Amino acid sequence: MPVDSFKYLPGVVAAYYRNLSVQREEPIPWTPLSRPLNECRFALVTTAGIYARRQDAPFDAEREKREPMWGDPTYRRLPRTVRQEDIGASHLHINNRDLLADVNIVLPITRFLELESEGVIGSLAPTSYSFMGYQMNNSEWRQRYGPEAAGLMKDEAVDAVLLTPA
Amino acid sequence: MLARIFEAAGLSTVLVSGMPYWSERIGVPRTVAVEFPFGHALGRPGDREMQMRVVRAALALLEESRTPGEIRELDIEWPQPFDEAKRDWQPLEPSPIVKMMLEQRRHG
Repeated sequence: MPVDSFKYLPGVVAAYYRNLSVQREEPIPWTPLSRPLNECRFALVTTAGIYARRQDAPFDAEREKREPMWGDPTYRRLPRTVRQEDIGASHLHINNRDLLADVNIVLPITRFLELESEGVIGSLAPTSYSFMGYQMNNSEWRQRYGPEAAGLMKDEAVDAVLLTPA
Repeated sequence: MLARIFEAAGLSTVLVSGMPYWSERIGVPRTVAVEFPFGHALGRPGDREMQMRVVRAALALLEESRTPGEIRELDIEWPQPFDEAKRDWQPLEPSPIVKMMLEQRRHG
């Protein structure tokens, strides 16, 4: 059965999404996997707006409350050693309860550490990344923060990235 | 959007998403589509087996896909009654933009 993208959305949000006009840019960028999975180094990226509380500040939700059309375009780095109790959450568009109980539902660090020790993947990189997905205007992501995070991943010799939206 | 930026920078990406609609419209390089509530791309909290199934499907797509824009749908049923699931993922307080839209609607 085909996946219904709108199944769980409130009517007002679904209607808004359906009416948004998006210009799809061609061609779709394409980087084939350069080596077998068991030699690949992975980074994980989520737009769930999480952060490591001991090392970072939350995303700027206060400004979004004052300016509802604005969303914080910056990102946070999360070490592969991050512990569940150190995860903080800033996203105002989801209930953060479940990811505060188990961050693996958006950033599957524990699952990737398991796959690393099983030898299914080469390794999980030292750093994973979190953005905050509510962006009415993604020009800062395109021009600055996206390429910057890509550069940091390349510095850590990352081959492949698993992403989850929120 | 980020997937496209990373892919263009020379990284191979796979997105796990409950909204393949956006993948199709934006042109995401590789997508595993799951019919899960928003903010739960890999499954339910504490459900290691479900999370691993989704992760393994993402790895398989990464390895096998030869077609930019491929969307592979995963047939896993969300194990929670629909109304409950629809309510549970949403913020307890409406987001600032939703508040604004509701107010605008009220004032016509």
